[in-house]
Amino acid sequence: MSPLLSGTGLVRNYGATPALRGIDFAVGEGEIVAVTGPSGCGKSTLLHCLSGILRVDAGTVTYRDQDIGLWSEAARSRLRRTEFGVLFQFGQLVPELTAVENVALPLLLAGSGRREARRTALDWLDRLGVAELAEQRPGAISGGQQQRCATARALVTEPRVLFADEPTGALDVLTGEQVLGQIVRVAREQGTAVVLVTHEARVAAYADREVALRDGVVDPTGLGLGVAG
Amino acid sequence: MKTATLARLAVAGNRTDVLRTVLTALSALLATVAMLCAATVLSITGWADRYSVTLLVEPGLRPGVAATLILVSLPVLALAGQCIRLGAPARDRRLAAIRLAGATPGEGVLIATAETAVASLLGSVAGLVAYLVARAAIGDQHTLPTDVLPPAPVIAFLVLLVPALAAAIGALLMRRVIVTPLGVVRRVRKRGPRPWPGLLIAVGLAMFASPFQEHLPVHLPHWLPHSKNMTYVLLGGGVLLTMAGVVLGVGWISHTAGQLLRRYGRGPATLLAGQRLITDPWNGSRTMAALLAAVIAGSVALGYRANLATTFRYYDLDNQIMGYPYGRGMSAGAEPSFYFNAIRLVMVAVGLSAAVAAAGLLIALVESIVARRRAYASLTATGVPRRTLSAAILWQTLTPLVPALLLAMAAGDALLRLVPTHYDLGRSYRECLADNDALAHCHTPAALHLPNVLNVPVPWAELSLLGAGALLAVLVAVGVGVLVLRSSTDLEELRVG
Repeated sequence: MSPLLSGTGLVRNYGATPALRGIDFAVGEGEIVAVTGPSGCGKSTLLHCLSGILRVDAGTVTYRDQDIGLWSEAARSRLRRTEFGVLFQFGQLVPELTAVENVALPLLLAGSGRREARRTALDWLDRLGVAELAEQRPGAISGGQQQRCATARALVTEPRVLFADEPTGALDVLTGEQVLGQIVRVAREQGTAVVLVTHEARVAAYADREVALRDGVVDPTGLGLGVAG
Repeated sequence: MKTATLARLAVAGNRTDVLRTVLTALSALLATVAMLCAATVLSITGWADRYSVTLLVEPGLRPGVAATLILVSLPVLALAGQCIRLGAPARDRRLAAIRLAGATPGEGVLIATAETAVASLLGSVAGLVAYLVARAAIGDQHTLPTDVLPPAPVIAFLVLLVPALAAAIGALLMRRVIVTPLGVVRRVRKRGPRPWPGLLIAVGLAMFASPFQEHLPVHLPHWLPHSKNMTYVLLGGGVLLTMAGVVLGVGWISHTAGQLLRRYGRGPATLLAGQRLITDPWNGSRTMAALLAAVIAGSVALGYRANLATTFRYYDLDNQIMGYPYGRGMSAGAEPSFYFNAIRLVMVAVGLSAAVAAAGLLIALVESIVARRRAYASLTATGVPRRTLSAAILWQTLTPLVPALLLAMAAGDALLRLVPTHYDLGRSYRECLADNDALAHCHTPAALHLPNVLNVPVPWAELSLLGAGALLAVLVAVGVGVLVLRSSTDLEELRVG
């Protein structure tokens, strides 16, 4: 069976600096894959390329047997809005909108009615235990609560793939564990595939499988953090 | 995306965004009022001696009054354009976050443009209300034309025109901006600007000259109707093209000035300024456009005043030669002070425009300092004195400004050099002798002491004052803008995540 999302021979350079040097990667339906490695090894770049935020310089990114690298920027944006969810370490919520407006945003951008989008957003905030913060702006709530809201926003469209880049990197250990537990629980409930970028063993331990990177290639030793699965 | 979603995202913002919205709305309000006043003046028909303001009485003078009012609205519109960049870093973060939530690049630009359009629409509607309230308050005093109202479609058109223009300026400013989910980046042109705007200036001058084809080697094509309206189109189009050429030419001037500064400048201030001018040569075009347009308009007005003064002197001398008694002969009954007062009014409008343009430049300067606050803070942290950074800002503003001002004044005066600039007094005398005019006495002795030809002088002193005034306005704006530098170079800026 072909994987849900795959990358073949991915190459990406920043000017003269290579970030990815021919990486092969695949994730199946409902699978959680941790991408690990030291700082600067290309983890985030891989996630950005797989999610269509960045274009690759060489290689192909295939989602449901379609090469999304050939798609326009607008088409890839629509794909992220409907099929993918993206979760970063910080800087992802619109500071001027309330929590519920932030969560409803992907639905509103997709053309949903305001009332329906709000109801769905409130439901997701409730599932992540932050319903009481619905009318608060990001600046007025804690980092852990912001990350829960961001998780709700990433999952509100019930995506097939969730991309999480160091989602607990800015949180203390306890809050991080709670947030991560919720991400994994909801992903399992919905059968969402997760590409989880991290350099922490305790985070990678939530994954079914680990892909370790080193200097822009998959670590040939295959050792990585050795905690997934 | 539904309109309600677009409207909600367009009005989302922090305190700086509120300030931007208020300033944009205020600019739109002023521009709308100025345009509605211009439309009202143009709605007056025939000889209108019921008004006490003499400029409104003569049909031939009213287009000039309307043009002056439109001249005032242009820098105000440009100010609305400058306000778009206010609070840019926070807005960039917001747009990036919206893109991350799934907005397409087009939707990102649409949201940014809608922000300006919504604020401008609020302002233009408020402008319409202010216009109507002011009309009612002034009443029927016959000082101003409160008894005429432009047609409703014209009013609706003008109220919608201002937000449309502001949105278009906004979209234009966004054309080199790429909003990605990871942040906002600006496309950098690898090739420097070329001097092609010089061609625009040449075409503008040629257009302006074409109605005076009897005196110049430029001729109107046969297929164009030789009407009064066509003359207005050619004159107006010529001035606008010349303005566009000067404004766009600032890109090339900035790039060249940057290269010269980098090559010949001594010290870090000139190096920083030179590199900045090379990196973003179009910044000057964006920020100085309104000021340069005002200077060109001022130069045209000053040139016209010199031309008018020479014309009246010619009339006086000619009447002396012809021996006409007082009150007879050429320009009999004309009141020179009336025309000079009209030009003074234009100069007041130019001064107002320059002040508004300097305010726009101040906003742009503050925004650019705030946007680069971390780079400035890092430079301060590494030991670069703040006065060096201030000097760099001064260099990067003045180096392209001085040649641009000279070009603007030269172009403005050149336009007026294209109309006849000399008067042959000897011909009048010859014609007088030949005509056997019963009223004329052809006073030869008086004519002996007079010059044969009167030339319109270049108003060097007035032009110098105009240029110095514009330079002073910019210096004040830079002085105020540099005050922001202290807070923007605070080392705390380096600690903010």
